[in-house]
Amino acid sequence: MNGAAGRLRATGRNALLPLLCLFTLLFWVAAPRAAEEPPGVAGLTRAEALRLGEQLYRKGLLPSGQPAQAIVQGDTEVEADMFSCESCHMRSGLGSYEGGVLTTPTNGAVLFKAQFNYRQPSPDQLKTIPAYMLPLYQAPPRRPAYTDTTLSVALRDGMDPNGRVLDEVMPRYLLAERDMAILVYYLKSLSPEYSPGVDQNTIRLATVVTDRVPAKEREAMLKPLEKYVRGRNSRAKTVESRAGYGFYAEWMDLIYRRLSLSVWELKGPPETWRSQLEEYYRKEPVFALIGGISHGEWRPVHEFGEEHRIPCLLPATDLPVISQSDWYTLYFSKGHYQEGEAAARFLAAGEQPDRDGELLQIFRDSAEGRASAAGFRESWQKLGRKAPAERMLSAGEAVTVELLEQATLEKRPAVLLLWTGPEALPLLEKVAALSGRPETIFLSASLLQDKIGALPEQLREKSYITYPYALPAGKGGAHRGNGAPLGRERRIAARMNSLGLLLTDSLMMMRGEFYRERFFEVIDMLQDRGHPYSAEFERYSFGPGQRYASKGCYVVQLSPGPGSELLQKSEWVIH
Amino acid sequence: MTSQTTRFLCYLVTLVPLLLCTRAEAAGGKYRRTVADYSMPDVLLVNQDGQKVRFKSFIEQSDQPVLLDFIYGTCTTICPILSAGFASLQRKLGPEASKVRLVSITIDPEHDNPRVMKDYLKRFRAKPGWDFMTGSRADIDRVMRAFDAYIPNKMSHYQIMLIRSPRDGRWTRVMELVSSADIMAEYRQAGAK
Repeated sequence: MNGAAGRLRATGRNALLPLLCLFTLLFWVAAPRAAEEPPGVAGLTRAEALRLGEQLYRKGLLPSGQPAQAIVQGDTEVEADMFSCESCHMRSGLGSYEGGVLTTPTNGAVLFKAQFNYRQPSPDQLKTIPAYMLPLYQAPPRRPAYTDTTLSVALRDGMDPNGRVLDEVMPRYLLAERDMAILVYYLKSLSPEYSPGVDQNTIRLATVVTDRVPAKEREAMLKPLEKYVRGRNSRAKTVESRAGYGFYAEWMDLIYRRLSLSVWELKGPPETWRSQLEEYYRKEPVFALIGGISHGEWRPVHEFGEEHRIPCLLPATDLPVISQSDWYTLYFSKGHYQEGEAAARFLAAGEQPDRDGELLQIFRDSAEGRASAAGFRESWQKLGRKAPAERMLSAGEAVTVELLEQATLEKRPAVLLLWTGPEALPLLEKVAALSGRPETIFLSASLLQDKIGALPEQLREKSYITYPYALPAGKGGAHRGNGAPLGRERRIAARMNSLGLLLTDSLMMMRGEFYRERFFEVIDMLQDRGHPYSAEFERYSFGPGQRYASKGCYVVQLSPGPGSELLQKSEWVIH
Repeated sequence: MTSQTTRFLCYLVTLVPLLLCTRAEAAGGKYRRTVADYSMPDVLLVNQDGQKVRFKSFIEQSDQPVLLDFIYGTCTTICPILSAGFASLQRKLGPEASKVRLVSITIDPEHDNPRVMKDYLKRFRAKPGWDFMTGSRADIDRVMRAFDAYIPNKMSHYQIMLIRSPRDGRWTRVMELVSSADIMAEYRQAGAK
């Protein structure tokens, strides 16, 4: 019996030991995970709740995928995918002011904190405030902190915790309890603290340069940026010294930060850039990328910014990513793609007979050639036309009379789009004389560059040139005497100067709201700018989510004679 | 005059102004509302289908009430409210929606091309009869100026809705965001023979 009991106890001890170990191990593994993973809401994990909350906030879609229902202006039924919370309160949640309508912040840091008319002084600061001003600082909050319950009331019934009725432009949402809980949960996580890359003194910025960029172009990009940062920082002492008191302490200079600019050098082929960017970012999490220059496409940097939600302001590239929905890179323009797009719209808007099947694109197998051809092809097809015939020249393939003859005789195109450099210009004359075809030729100013005037006299009447710059006859612009665009280095430098102007405006408008999304939201709210702000372009225009600042491209012809002039044949923006 | 007749006249004198006041309240008393004549500029605009529209004749030859506003495709605040009002009117009118012509003119002609405008209308469940128009910046400026609604910077635009009566070609100008009941009342009043 004793023996059996002893064995049992021994067996029990033996069994208990691994169980204890397992339990300890489980506790050891689970405890840090529980600490790392805060609880979600409505039976969802945190990640899932945030995903669904973001979907509701930004797209107006319920977890079911259906649009939420709401009422605006007292009786107007709307579905929230027509305009969502994000429309007015913005991606950052920091609100907006437009058309006389003030939209207040709805980010977690503001919603769930009492809001006062005056910054709350510390006990020491309180002693320095004159007695007659104390009531202002000791006044009760303008609005108490929202709770989950009072926020639900505001969202459903349009009433804030003070009992004040919100403007009728604020939709009254018809949300079920669970959907409301998910939205409230998301709002708590929205812009809860400043983005990385900003501390009490400095906003950290970086610019990306790749190793195969010619030295002169690298210098043209870097010098203006470095000069800008030096210039801004030279004001630092003055601003910081006056930030200790009065009006400046209260409003103005709290927002001031010095800038730091790091140069992120990328080496090797583009497919390795991403890992290098990740390493740079791991070492130095910057607030934003500004400027930058690469050989070839900008895509690896674009995707890095998109994934980490890091704004990338105006890289000096003519090979941007073309996207309607990506958000975190603002480009100067669509570059070569935009010229193809302009040619398509110009042709489609003309009074010529239908040219379906009678178009030929010849382009080089280079990033520039492919982008120009894609711009034309995609725009042409969106206009309901058939894809043009195409002939892609391999990288080293010479443009010859035979090649052009063969292509034109085979396709007999009425319209030839030649997205190559100036090497093809002397040959075109012979080809056109051969059969009377093509009747119309399109060329690109950005590919011809300073050889634009080499277009043979006999071809000028039938040749159109896409010209994505301000015209020489305009108020400004940047070009040579004969209308040829400026050399690449000078254009890069002009763009970077323009970036500096934009940065000054946006940092000022961002005030103390150091959130990456806010940085681009204030740029989105800028008014359109022409010369000299817009450098080589006719105009920049901005708007929520608009990510190509210069949206136009002229189509021009060359006047006859040696002193050829540009003859404007289209509006800046062609519809 | 009998006492009954006198009493009837008294009622009439009291009630008629009251009735008139109610009508004014329903069709404009709650918001700023003026009536004006505008001369349409002869410009060529482009609609969401990429079709060219001769604006002057498009408006002036309409024998239906025209409701017109100025919006842009990426506007964050007031344009969506204006457009929700148009969408609501079309929905409430049901089969009668074809009897009103809705026109939205972009104030961001650089960005708002036919594709952007078509997507915008789709988002607001627009039915046939609602056109969104763009054009050259100069032509859009001419349209805005024609309606005394020039907006040099789209970010500081303001709400304006104009309603044209086919009876006399006159325009009612509403300078506020209004309810869908108000929009319906304006439409009815413009269309009433």
